[in-house]
Amino acid sequence: MHLLAQPLVLSHFQALALFAFFTSAVFAVISHRTWRERAKEFLWTFLLFVVIGVGLGWVMYLFSR
Amino acid sequence: MTNTATPRPAEAQRRAGRTGPAAWPYVVGFLGWLLPGLGHLVQRKYDRAGIFFVSVAAMAGLGIAMGAKLYVLPFGEGQGMFVGLLHVLAFLGDLGAGLLFFLGWMAGFGRDYLARASGDYGTVFFLCAGLLNLLTVLDAYDIAVGKKD
Repeated sequence: MHLLAQPLVLSHFQALALFAFFTSAVFAVISHRTWRERAKEFLWTFLLFVVIGVGLGWVMYLFSR
Repeated sequence: MTNTATPRPAEAQRRAGRTGPAAWPYVVGFLGWLLPGLGHLVQRKYDRAGIFFVSVAAMAGLGIAMGAKLYVLPFGEGQGMFVGLLHVLAFLGDLGAGLLFFLGWMAGFGRDYLARASGDYGTVFFLCAGLLNLLTVLDAYDIAVGKKD
C-alpha cells in the first residue's frame, strides 16, 4: 500500500507547467549572470517547454486510435 | 603553444585571486549535492542558493506527493540486463537529490510503484530534481574554482 493515503493528482497540463516552471528557473539562473538575462531565458525556456509539450501531445493524439 | 587545458582547482583559485584549501571546491560540490543550494550558500551566493533550493525541493516534494517510485539497491533483480541498467541509471538520477532522496526513502516514501499516470509523473519529477541538483553542484564547483563569478 502506498504511504500517501491520497496521492496528489495533477492534470497533464498542470504537471507540464510545474515541471517547465522549476526546470526553466534552474536553467536560467545557471546559464546567465544578470537578472534581466535570466528573466528572458526563463520566459523563453518555459514557453518552449510548454509549446513543445503540448505540440508533442497533439502529435501523439493522431496515433492514439 | 598556449595551454588551453582546464586549470586545476587550486591553480584556478590562485588565478582568480582566491585562497583556500585545495579541497574547497570539492567540499562545496559535496555540500551542494547534500542539500540543494548549500554549495552556493557557503559561497555567499544567496539568490542562487534560494532559487536552487526552492526549485529542486519543490520538484522532489511534488514527485513524492504524486507517488514517485524511488530507485534503490538492489538493482532490478531477475528482470534482465536492460531493466537492470535502467534501474541503475534511475538510482543515480535519484541519488542526485542528496538528502532529499535519503530522507524520502527513510520516511517510507517511494517503495511501491503506483500504476497510474500521476505516479509515473512523480517518478520523473523526482528523477529530474536529482538531475537538476547535479547541475547546480557543477555550477557551485565552477564558482569555487573561479571559472564563474
